[in-house]
Amino acid sequence: MTAAAPPAGRPRPRQPPVSWGGRLRLSLAAVAAAALTLWSARAVGFSAHELLTNLDKIGRLLDDSFPPDWSFWPRLVAPFVETLQIAVIGTVAGSLIALPLAVLAARPVSPARPVYYAGRNLMNVLRTMPDLFWAMLFASAVGFGPFAGALALTVFTVAVVSKLLSESIEAIDLGLLEAVRASGGGWWETVRFSVLPQVLPQYVSYALYAFEINVRASTVLGLVGAGGIGMVLNTQRTTFEYSRVTLIVLVIFAIVLVIEQVSEAARRRLV
Amino acid sequence: MSARPQPPSRYGAGFWLTLVVAALVVASVLALEVPGARVRALPLELARMFARFFPPDLDYGRETVIRAVIESLQIAWVGTLIGAVLSLPLGLLGARNLFPRVGLMVKPFLVAVRAVPEILLAIYFVPAVGLGAFAGTLAIGLHSVGMLGKLTADVVESMDVGPVEAVTACGGGSTAVVRFAVLPQVLPEIVALWLFRFEINLRASAVLGVVGAGGIGGVLLNTLRYRQFDKAGSVILLTVLVVLAVDALSGRIRERLVRD
Repeated sequence: MTAAAPPAGRPRPRQPPVSWGGRLRLSLAAVAAAALTLWSARAVGFSAHELLTNLDKIGRLLDDSFPPDWSFWPRLVAPFVETLQIAVIGTVAGSLIALPLAVLAARPVSPARPVYYAGRNLMNVLRTMPDLFWAMLFASAVGFGPFAGALALTVFTVAVVSKLLSESIEAIDLGLLEAVRASGGGWWETVRFSVLPQVLPQYVSYALYAFEINVRASTVLGLVGAGGIGMVLNTQRTTFEYSRVTLIVLVIFAIVLVIEQVSEAARRRLV
Repeated sequence: MSARPQPPSRYGAGFWLTLVVAALVVASVLALEVPGARVRALPLELARMFARFFPPDLDYGRETVIRAVIESLQIAWVGTLIGAVLSLPLGLLGARNLFPRVGLMVKPFLVAVRAVPEILLAIYFVPAVGLGAFAGTLAIGLHSVGMLGKLTADVVESMDVGPVEAVTACGGGSTAVVRFAVLPQVLPEIVALWLFRFEINLRASAVLGVVGAGGIGGVLLNTLRYRQFDKAGSVILLTVLVVLAVDALSGRIRERLVRD
């Protein structure tokens, strides 16, 4: 391209000034990210070589995995139902506990500063724990089985829903709070008649979202002994019955996808 | 004169929905056959286990746990990066406002990939490439491709189309459109998505050890299996601290990215 002269009378717009500080920061960040990547890639043993030399192993695995063993299906129905039951209990119990926690940990509604900080920190710590960590803990506290799974998903749901809900509560219209206070309402009346009605659609939507995550999580709880289809999966995995593993994974995939689509459609209508 | 408005019916959709959910819960609780005695003993049992976590075995933490937590961190980082690199082109192709026909095929593919939990992918990668962190990294990477690709497509679909029309009007082809109209608009938001995914992947990689795919999960499973609660306590303590630190750092960077 040739640099054409700008038309007379209308000067070409000046380029924005170069921000050297910004560029320096960006390159430092890039170098740091690259170093972190190299260090991590070496540590995890990342190598295309290994991937390529293992091709025959991968071929054998695919042979074992396909076609799925359809005759195994009748033995899966009951565990799958149990999985969904775990997800339902975890979602509902967790959402119910999350409601008061979110109210107490939302800045404009929280009854007192210390309560707010305590609630906020509790939510942040709960959120750091992966779902299967809870499952392992409960499995060793109350024994293997679906009860441990339901408890794990309950705590996990509390973490997800309370965080989202308290953020919604912090964004509500404060005018309605004042209206209730002005007509003589105390803290309880404020929450009951101005906070809850405003966030109810979001609350239901977050509970549905938690249900989606919980269905996905409930299918793997059994890997650590916390009930559901994962228990069957774990037995078949450790005995290398991969044609059965494939069947289980395909059914999980279908169930997760269907529930996700239905729940997403419902959430779109709610909010 | 207008009459006083009637109160809305108490038996609307919400009422029936609540009833259905309540019935489902009751049916599920009954089906799981949890003995009442175990439920009543639960608080005591939890308290007892919690007490046994203290004091956490910090020597064990220094020798074993730290290394495994760092391995989880590395799995999450490389996995996220694999996901980021592969999902960017796929996400662009999946955006229906840029590529109406290709997008119709790519996006459902991305949605499908992400429906499989990482740990199930790891179950296949472990026999394929052997026990250890590499299998976990591939599982996290593949799952992230689906997640990030779908979100990238969503971001591109909701962007301002003005710049796209401007580049097209100047005679730019689809490469020029992506380079000069799309990427400058969406990149900050997409990098923020990557960081957010990293936070999630750290939690995911922390449990992959359960199926032998590296990281801290296997350590926790073993300590609990042998009921070494003081060691398990140090696993949980260190994991929570590292995740909190990563969340705080990544959250701060994300805030700055999306703000300017």
